[in-house]
Amino acid sequence: MKKRNWLAACAAVALQGALCTPWPALAQASIRIGAVLPLTGPSATIGEDIRRGIMLGVDEVNANGGVLGKKLALIVEDSANNPTTALTAARKLATVDKVPAVIGEYSSSITLPMAQYLVKEGVAHVNIGSSSTKVRALGGAAYSLIGLEDAGNRHAVRDTYGMGWRKIAVIVPNNAFGQGVAEGFRHEFEKLGGKVLAQVLYAGGQSSYRRELQQLARSKPDAYLYSAYGQESAVINRESKELGLRQVPWYAYIMSMCVSDTPAENVEGQIGMDVGAAKGELGKAYETAFRARHKEGFKSAFNGYGYDAVRMLAAALTQAKGSSSADVQRGLKEVGAGGFAGVTGTIAFDAEGQRIDPPYDNLRYQGGRLVPR
Amino acid sequence: MFDFLTYLLTIGGIYAIMALGLNIQAGYGGLLNFGHIAFAGIGAYATGIAHARGWPVPAGMALGMALATALGWCIGRLGRRLAADYWGIATLAVAEILRTVALNEDWLTGGANGISAIPGLFENQPRPWNELLFMALVLGLVALLAWLSARLGDGRFGRAIRLMREQPQLAACMGYDLQSLKTRTVMSGAAVTALAGSLYALQMNFAGPEFLLAAETFVLWTMLMVGGIGRTAGVLLGVVLLQAVHAFVPFAKDMLGFDSDRAGALRLGMIGLILLACLLLRREGLLPEKLRASA
Repeated sequence: MKKRNWLAACAAVALQGALCTPWPALAQASIRIGAVLPLTGPSATIGEDIRRGIMLGVDEVNANGGVLGKKLALIVEDSANNPTTALTAARKLATVDKVPAVIGEYSSSITLPMAQYLVKEGVAHVNIGSSSTKVRALGGAAYSLIGLEDAGNRHAVRDTYGMGWRKIAVIVPNNAFGQGVAEGFRHEFEKLGGKVLAQVLYAGGQSSYRRELQQLARSKPDAYLYSAYGQESAVINRESKELGLRQVPWYAYIMSMCVSDTPAENVEGQIGMDVGAAKGELGKAYETAFRARHKEGFKSAFNGYGYDAVRMLAAALTQAKGSSSADVQRGLKEVGAGGFAGVTGTIAFDAEGQRIDPPYDNLRYQGGRLVPR
Repeated sequence: MFDFLTYLLTIGGIYAIMALGLNIQAGYGGLLNFGHIAFAGIGAYATGIAHARGWPVPAGMALGMALATALGWCIGRLGRRLAADYWGIATLAVAEILRTVALNEDWLTGGANGISAIPGLFENQPRPWNELLFMALVLGLVALLAWLSARLGDGRFGRAIRLMREQPQLAACMGYDLQSLKTRTVMSGAAVTALAGSLYALQMNFAGPEFLLAAETFVLWTMLMVGGIGRTAGVLLGVVLLQAVHAFVPFAKDMLGFDSDRAGALRLGMIGLILLACLLLRREGLLPEKLRASA
């Protein structure tokens, strides 16, 4: 009897999970949009930062009367930094919530399979955090607000070459992002006549990177280029200082990510680049609103892209006067063709739905924060 | 909703096949395989690589199963001189080595981006039917493999490996070659799991290194421990329960209206709670293994 009760309880949980429909209040008088973000796992800090940007966008759209006379409702799902969970979340958004567009994810290796599924289903995909150039090949329903790594690499090469450095050693994480940066940077840098002396793709989650750093140091470069996730970056910054490798400059690629968890004294004076953060009058207003709402400043440069994605989708829906996926895509094309004024600058799409001239910032870490240089 | 339900049943079925594979090793044989996901990874990658080379899908599946079985043989032999717990660590290492290879050998595995655009099995069928047919195939395989696994467990081989688990010296005295038993156990579990890996790649249209993370193996272990290790019905119950939690949390978030940042924590917390409750209250799982009493 006891066992039967257990079984009944389990079956009830399973059935509830499978059959319950979304809360009706959310479903009726609103237009729904989906987002899949890493809210747990190693990229959770940035995932939460993007979510804050997105929610601010939603509030603002709704405060200004919503979209097509309805409220905009955003359904945010957790990807747990795992492709299976992300795909399940995307499937829920596409088939149960029937959203016309999905924003996200952050890691390229998760965005790619997820976006591929969405494009196949005819749901618009808005990329706000992934830089793999393979995003470009996804097809018609995929759009990028953020610059892809080829643009980022060209920017970093121009900046580092302009400093007079000719021999560089590179350390980046061994994943889709790191592999793309390492290969792309070397390609562009050597085209100008520079040389990448050593290249290390480090394995994430280690307690020490001394071996990797010593391996780089043996090449005796003019400067080091590094990119690393928060906690790993903290270790790399500390150990490079302890090993005395700071006699030559260190250059951070996507700097807000690199310094987010490092104590200030270990990165003081460091320079680097990042995807363009909030800019101009719009950007200032956004930063003030963000701070007021969340009692905290930006954790990364990515939240502005989430905010812009929401506002641009709202504009696209209004422009197309409909809320189907086809309407969103038509609207995005039309809004993107004219240039949309976002907090990350003017957003215009090329024929492949990718942002033309994505912005990048040159930064310096000074007095405990990142400042433009 | 209907599409999503189909998907949930399919993916649940795929995990059930992997868990059945692990159950043959860990449940019946008592082998602490902490690198079990490597077999599924081989299945998934073999299917993806075969597609990239233009081979038919069944060839990729067969290749995956053959390679996984071969790896199973090696892992089984690897343990000859290792005690059970050390062998467990060695299996974890093997899976990590495979993941590192998958991550770095761009020319073969697509590196960190993995292999995407692997076509589904019934892609040329009209819309709802392609997914329904695939679900029917997966669930049919689950039923068949569950039946086979239960039979295997109750048959001569199953009794022998249970004896190996409980009383290795006694099994040796009775004339069983323990090394051969162990190797065959790992190999049969590997073949079943590689099949599930292939199905995973076909369902997700993707094979990537994240799928080979050690955490995936422990998801399977959790399913076994919650449901009942060593008993087919228990394994299936564990899969249903854990998949239900995974599927339920996003809906609970929408229904109860709490923030999405809490939903992830809730999912992790619920799974941890279920596992802890099971460990404390029902150590052998919800449906414990039934050993045949001497009649």
